[in-house]
Amino acid sequence: MQHKKKILSVIMVLLTGAFYGQGLFESSTTESNKPSTPVISFNGYGRGSFYGGSKSFDNQSVFAEFGFQGKLSLNHAFLFADLRARGGLQFDSLYTTLQLKETYVGYQSDHFDVYLGEKIITWGRTDGFNPTNNITPFNYFFLTADPDDQKLPNFLLQAKWHITPQMDIEVIGIPFYRPSIYRYDLFNMGQYTRFTTPSFPTATFDNMSMAAKMNFELPAIGFSVSYFRGYDPFFGFNLKSLTWNFIIPDIELTAETYLKNTAGFDFAVPAGSWIFRGEAGYNYTTNYKDNMYIPNPGLSYVAGVEHDFWGAHAILQYIGAYTFNFQELPEPQKPGPENGVTMRDYMTQLIMNELTQFNRRIFYQQEKFNHALSLSVNGSFAHDAVRAEVMGYYNITSDEWFVRPQVTWNITDRLQTTLGGFYSAGPDKSIYFYSSDVLNGAFVQLKVNF
Amino acid sequence: MKKIKFLLALLMLGMLTSINAQNPKEITQKATDISNPDAFEMTSTLTTYDSKGRERVRQTTSATKKFGETTKTILKFLSPADVKGTGILIFDYKNKDDDMWIYLPALRRTRRIISSEKSKSFMGSEFSNADMSRPNLDDFNYKLDRTTQYEGKTCWVIESTPKTDKIADENGYSKKIALIDKNSYEVYQVKYYDLDGELWKVMTVSDYQDLGNGKVMARKMEIKNVQNGRRSVLSIDKLQMGSSLTENNFTTAMLEK
Repeated sequence: MQHKKKILSVIMVLLTGAFYGQGLFESSTTESNKPSTPVISFNGYGRGSFYGGSKSFDNQSVFAEFGFQGKLSLNHAFLFADLRARGGLQFDSLYTTLQLKETYVGYQSDHFDVYLGEKIITWGRTDGFNPTNNITPFNYFFLTADPDDQKLPNFLLQAKWHITPQMDIEVIGIPFYRPSIYRYDLFNMGQYTRFTTPSFPTATFDNMSMAAKMNFELPAIGFSVSYFRGYDPFFGFNLKSLTWNFIIPDIELTAETYLKNTAGFDFAVPAGSWIFRGEAGYNYTTNYKDNMYIPNPGLSYVAGVEHDFWGAHAILQYIGAYTFNFQELPEPQKPGPENGVTMRDYMTQLIMNELTQFNRRIFYQQEKFNHALSLSVNGSFAHDAVRAEVMGYYNITSDEWFVRPQVTWNITDRLQTTLGGFYSAGPDKSIYFYSSDVLNGAFVQLKVNF
Repeated sequence: MKKIKFLLALLMLGMLTSINAQNPKEITQKATDISNPDAFEMTSTLTTYDSKGRERVRQTTSATKKFGETTKTILKFLSPADVKGTGILIFDYKNKDDDMWIYLPALRRTRRIISSEKSKSFMGSEFSNADMSRPNLDDFNYKLDRTTQYEGKTCWVIESTPKTDKIADENGYSKKIALIDKNSYEVYQVKYYDLDGELWKVMTVSDYQDLGNGKVMARKMEIKNVQNGRRSVLSIDKLQMGSSLTENNFTTAMLEK
């Protein structure tokens, strides 16, 4: 009994130490110096945002929004919520919505972190193009001044083990699939093409996604190796039905995702006043020969260099992809009595080729080797009150490009305005050829933080 | 009369010897050392006023601790709301450039950043990044001119100039003149001259707190840009000597929490 009491008192002392051993830094970040008392902290913003002026829509995305981020902390456990109430006009449709941008509970300690809930996870060390990030879905058609608005959460369980200060292991389980949002229904793809209900995996354990990463952060280099098994949020399109009314086709397309395995690697190496970054992912897929919505196995890679020139910060990146088992699409046989091919067979083959090519463009697998470049330059002026940035992208393989200039002015500590635009173009039938009519435009945002 | 002249000469010699007996680099080294405790945590407020008196306020919390020969600092922004959650991790080495990482909530990830831009403004203030970190003393030549009185205290006047144009460009100034207390080695004032040799900024350091073990820390630093009229004040709101944080807390993972 005496022995038990001793153990209990030791445990009590240890627990007390754990609870009340918080230093100034920790108590400042949790905003409490009494860690045994729950602490609520919150901040948020209000904003008005206009994005408009495309060929197809005058008002692509016009809305007012109230954002609220709250955190309830108790010792090492916490609840975090990022809620957004928004109303306005999106592609000529009025809407009002309450979005759970993120809501999750977590436990954090020196060696272990666990999170459960709706959470956004971004993997990868390169900028904007991340072959290792197969987890985060995006809403590519939520058009605003802030790229983070397009990121969507997954419901997931995330565990991190900080083995040493330089090394940690992360494991993620995503029990059900959440696709990215891209509105091909808004594109002008011809009067014979329709998009129907998507075909996505059911919420069964067999269909859950798993990911793991081992990350190293050393003074000379930071790098990670990662693995993902699951359904890609960035889906393809399948031909659901093709019917003919004499020689008029009725093409019904459906969004369909696919299972893939990705082995990833990324790194960042500082060298004097330069930083070199790289990221690569080997994507393994099956059944791609018989299904146009499944990409071939492939290797995606990004190499970037970062440096300051005359006060401006520049990031230049090469984005490449190698397609395994790549085959040119066969030329459809022209109709004629000698080969027994009818006009309908010929047109069917033409349509199949077009749709396959469309999927290849989506998957960045137009050729065996695919090449693109991106350049981002930003600088701050007026004592950091004004920040100007411009990003350009050119796809060497498909001859598509875009440019996105943006200026942000912090009028006061709480009031901020952003002006900018997006312009893209591409050759006939390319992705940017279709999307430019919908996505090109100018934007302005006024935001008040509290 | 001859005796008096001899004594005066001896006295003068003694005074000169007492100035030159102290190597200006050693004085600067000691002044740097006494204000760099091995471990501390603090919350601070950085207020910048433009020439019309309009202010911008940044509040941060930070922890600094020495592990071996490396001093590690983790800093997080507490306000204003648009930068809240931004974190910076710095590994300060004696003989090479710092390693730095930044966590930006808007990007939701930690990025390695370049630390060589010492002349850049620190958080949009009149302080530079170099003002916020321990200088590499070998990058400068030092000259001890004289002593002077500053607020009733006798101070050395030490001029330091970058050894090369490259170092001058990196730091953004052609020379600086520091007033260092002859008794306590506390730095009270630093004048910076721009690359054209014109007076650029004047920094005053005050409210020194004795931390024991021969260490001190200034709780207030004010820098005024005499060319554009802007000034910034960095004040320590709370200071805790020592830190219970382990090396596991000075990591990129901690930045994201």
